Amino acid sequence: MRRRVLLDALWREPSRLLWLACWSVAEALPSLTGGYAVARAVDDGFAAGRPSVGFAWLGVLAAAWAVAAVSARQVLLLIAGIVEPFRDDLLRRVVTGALRAGRGGDSAAVARMNHQVELARDAFGAIITVVRSFVFTLVSVAVGLSTLAPAVVPLVLPPVALGLGLFLVSLPSLARRQREFIVADEHTAAAVAAMASGLRDVTACGGEERVAAEVGQAVTRQAASARALARVTATRTLSLAVGAWLPVVLLLAGAPWLVRQGITGGVILGTLTYVMQSLAPALGGLVQGLGVSGVRLAVTLERILHVPGPPVAHGDTEPDSARLVLRGVRFAYGTADQKAPEPVIDGLDLDVPEGDHLAVVGPSGIGKSTLAALVAGLLTPDEGEVLVGGVPAARVLPAARALIPQEAYVFPGTLAENLTYLAPGATPERVDEAVAAFGLADLAQRCAGGPLDPAELSAGERQLIALARTYLSPARLVVLDESTCHLDPAAEARAEAAFAARGGTLVVVAHRISSALRAKRVLVMDGTRVRLGSHEEMVAASPLYADLVGHWTGLPAGAVAEDADVASGRRPEPAALGGDLNRLDA
Amino acid sequence: MSSRSADLLIARAVRRGGPWLAVLTATALTGAAADLLVPAALGRALDAVVRTSPDLPETVAVAALLAGLVVVCDALGVLAAGVSGARAAQWLRTRVVTHTLSAGTGMTRHLAPGEIVTRAGVNVEEAGRTPEAVVTAATLVIPSAGSVVALALIDPWLAVTLVAGLLLIVAVLRAFMRKTTAASGGYQEAQGQIAGMLVGALAGARTISAAGTEDREAARVLAPLPRLRAQGLALWRLQARAGVQAAVVVPLLEIAVLAVGGLRLSAGDLTVGELLAAARYVVLGAGLGSALGYAARIARARSAAQRLEQLFAVPPPAYGSRPLPPGPGTLELRDVTVRADGVRLLSGISFVVPGGTCTAVVGRSGSGKSSLAAVAGRLADPEQGVVLLDGVPLREIGREPLRRAVGYAFERPALFGRTLGEAVGFGLPAHDENNDENTVPPDTVRAAAVAACADPFVRRLPLGYATPVEEAPMSGGEVQRIGLARAFAQAGRVLILDDAMSSLDTVTERQVGRALTGSLADRTRLVVAHRVTTAAQADQVVWLEDGRVRAIGTHERLWADPGYRAVFQAPVFQEQEAS
Repeated sequence: MRRRVLLDALWREPSRLLWLACWSVAEALPSLTGGYAVARAVDDGFAAGRPSVGFAWLGVLAAAWAVAAVSARQVLLLIAGIVEPFRDDLLRRVVTGALRAGRGGDSAAVARMNHQVELARDAFGAIITVVRSFVFTLVSVAVGLSTLAPAVVPLVLPPVALGLGLFLVSLPSLARRQREFIVADEHTAAAVAAMASGLRDVTACGGEERVAAEVGQAVTRQAASARALARVTATRTLSLAVGAWLPVVLLLAGAPWLVRQGITGGVILGTLTYVMQSLAPALGGLVQGLGVSGVRLAVTLERILHVPGPPVAHGDTEPDSARLVLRGVRFAYGTADQKAPEPVIDGLDLDVPEGDHLAVVGPSGIGKSTLAALVAGLLTPDEGEVLVGGVPAARVLPAARALIPQEAYVFPGTLAENLTYLAPGATPERVDEAVAAFGLADLAQRCAGGPLDPAELSAGERQLIALARTYLSPARLVVLDESTCHLDPAAEARAEAAFAARGGTLVVVAHRISSALRAKRVLVMDGTRVRLGSHEEMVAASPLYADLVGHWTGLPAGAVAEDADVASGRRPEPAALGGDLNRLDA
Repeated sequence: MSSRSADLLIARAVRRGGPWLAVLTATALTGAAADLLVPAALGRALDAVVRTSPDLPETVAVAALLAGLVVVCDALGVLAAGVSGARAAQWLRTRVVTHTLSAGTGMTRHLAPGEIVTRAGVNVEEAGRTPEAVVTAATLVIPSAGSVVALALIDPWLAVTLVAGLLLIVAVLRAFMRKTTAASGGYQEAQGQIAGMLVGALAGARTISAAGTEDREAARVLAPLPRLRAQGLALWRLQARAGVQAAVVVPLLEIAVLAVGGLRLSAGDLTVGELLAAARYVVLGAGLGSALGYAARIARARSAAQRLEQLFAVPPPAYGSRPLPPGPGTLELRDVTVRADGVRLLSGISFVVPGGTCTAVVGRSGSGKSSLAAVAGRLADPEQGVVLLDGVPLREIGREPLRRAVGYAFERPALFGRTLGEAVGFGLPAHDENNDENTVPPDTVRAAAVAACADPFVRRLPLGYATPVEEAPMSGGEVQRIGLARAFAQAGRVLILDDAMSSLDTVTERQVGRALTGSLADRTRLVVAHRVTTAAQADQVVWLEDGRVRAIGTHERLWADPGYRAVFQAPVFQEQEAS
């Protein structure tokens, strides 16, 4: 996967690679000519008493450097042309991957991906630079040396190859250490961050020793991995030494033999120039670049390409009705190989005919949102089936039904763009109607057609926008999952009335009990069993429900004023009260 | 903070390097000397070759030895720098952690969590690398400064050529630094925009998944991408220009020195070997620029140490040593005044919560409820006045007995421990003292979770109580319930709930309320609350206004006051439901 991404980035424009090769040859010109020009400048020029010839050869070298400078600029821009699209590609993957996986991601972690993408981009650029530079330098030096004096080649290239080989052999362990260090470092940072933001809780619980031990463990591990990294880095320095210094020593040691072959001092000077000025820096760059950037690239790519979760599948079947049927539905959290022992929903049967208005009531965490997600096709039941108009929920066209979760989504666009998000063809009149129906007129006036800043809207305003948006959508099955929790009771009542009048099927996961009083039927989930019926039936049948509806009666009369949304005319009979709530935990 | 104490801190941290510090210094100095001598030795060897002089083997041996010395010192230096730096950093980091923990909430009043993280991270790293920075700077300064001297010794004109060239490099690099900071602003802005919109879109992930509009959203989030790329390419162009200018300076410098040296060679004043040495000294001398960079690092290390000193200067609270006499958990506040940053948060608060009863604390936001909760269990000390638990001032009680006696639950609890079970049992003495694993008896954890209504949802997680905290997708209300369970497990005598049920739905809140009046009824309870039901269930209500007690009494009695009723009205309602 990682290799694929990198190769794709390289091969995106093959002509670019060709150009890169051409300019790299030009950039390596000093490596090709350097030693030769110095040797000639000394032998034919300065040492021969002809300084003008010496200057001419140095002029050649200076010209080579000038060409190299221009080429280096082109090379850098060509590399930018590979690396920038690579960055775009990675960002695109991160963004689409996270959005397609839907919920189940830590959004802050995904946002930090931005930083990882930058690291990957820089590392990739550095690797292309050093590997390319090393290869072209090596070839240029080999050609230059063979031209200058073939006799010195065996003294130079084999030790360089040996140094390179040693480095490549040590690379895996270096990579491992480097990786361990990066991970340990991040782990410590995370542990310290958790500690720093929870100091109050640590003090309150007297958990100082425990946390000190935990963070201390991370710190110790980090220090150990830093020491291990230092050890392998030191060995890396040795392999660099073999490649860079051994040729120099061999050249000098073999000098008497070379001189007997007719090699002059100028040629040895030229050869040393090749080794010390071209080969050694290129090898150093390679060792440093691959040893650090290579590992960083591998680690960051691993994170970036780590899929946050399988994409949520979408169906394309348009159901012919909005009747909702659940048959023997069972759902437990976890993956296929690790399911929670206790299901959230077990053996649920439900039939909600088109046009029905159902309220779902129960304590939080009991599975109401899970039920909503099953109906919306965001989750698939482990057993049984969820049918919308006879079509399994997962295969239903998303436009045919709508789910509004508690956390209303408003994006930074205009109010009209937000409202027509699910109904691109809605007429301005329809939009105005929705604005009026949900009490958004003030907001519309305030932003006057300009873009909204979601952070500046109140939670209630965001919910009103999400509600009005769904109101305008073509969906005939609408699920409100506590999507009115930030509204005041009056606004909530108005929103639910608008949806009830809109037609289609309405399922409301109730945040306040008043939502149940407005529904045609009520589904009570209390953890042990599920009951369905009218409000009056539920008051009689479900102690939990009865208790909820009447749970203010034990208070002084004045104190209940706040909960006036429990309609006074429908206050249940005292006889229905008094169920034992603790039973839920049994 | 004086720079002296910062230097002292660095010195103490550096000493942790032990023998490695000596190794580092020795290798650095030896390596630097060898570095400086190598070109001269190479030059001599080359001259010996050219002249076919009899001392050739000797000169080659010296050059090879010096080269070997450079390599060995380099490798050992890297090792020594890494190890001593790691040791110094470990010592500093451990100190930061233990000091932060012992200062506790006092620390957060001085430094924000982010600042603590920076100190334990980057600052420790910078301060820990001081020996490396000092030594590396020295090893760079010695050869580069030395090479200028060496060049001057070979021929003064060579040295002049070098110095003039060096000034050019510095000027070019300066110009580059200025332009980059200006250009990278636009790039980071585009980046920030994408990140911001992604976070926004992920917050609406359920809406987007349900509507099947993932790809449209991706396109919207990625809209600034072309701008990002344009800005990125502009940066590359800038880098290309300046980088190329800088890269060509050293070779040109070398050619200039070779030309001047060549002239001297023609005149017979210089040997080929000396020319080789001169060319090498140019490269070494150009390293002076990076030596200056290391000097900047030393300055950074000192300021990092100063920032660490700031953290160490925050005093930890002193705990007493008195054990807690047996008692029902009667909590008494006597004339308690709390001030922060010169602002009076509480003034002259006095009341008693009799053992085993429940007191609700109500008041508008900003009236001092949370400050009251904090002093009641000694998360903070009052500036004046005293808080007593069963007659003993909190300050005189040992840390262990105090924390075992008082349990706290918060609006937004921070959970510790690897699993949910450990998060509930956090802070309790381990079941088995010989075992490092925190094994609080499962029954204690389970009972507390049941009382806090956390048990049903925990059991529905794939691994139940063994589910790692970070893998448990919990709503605000669910986190609150774990926080409540932790407090329930903790509280031996007193339970302080600081708005700890604000995200619970009415059903759950009622169930927890039952536990508070049922299985937990023997604990003394101090409950900060917004909801009228909580106040109604309490034995007495403390009504705060602007940091003072406005009235104390039963809910029924206070309800007659319109001002009291107004405390429970509207705006609070919308906030408290947020989860």
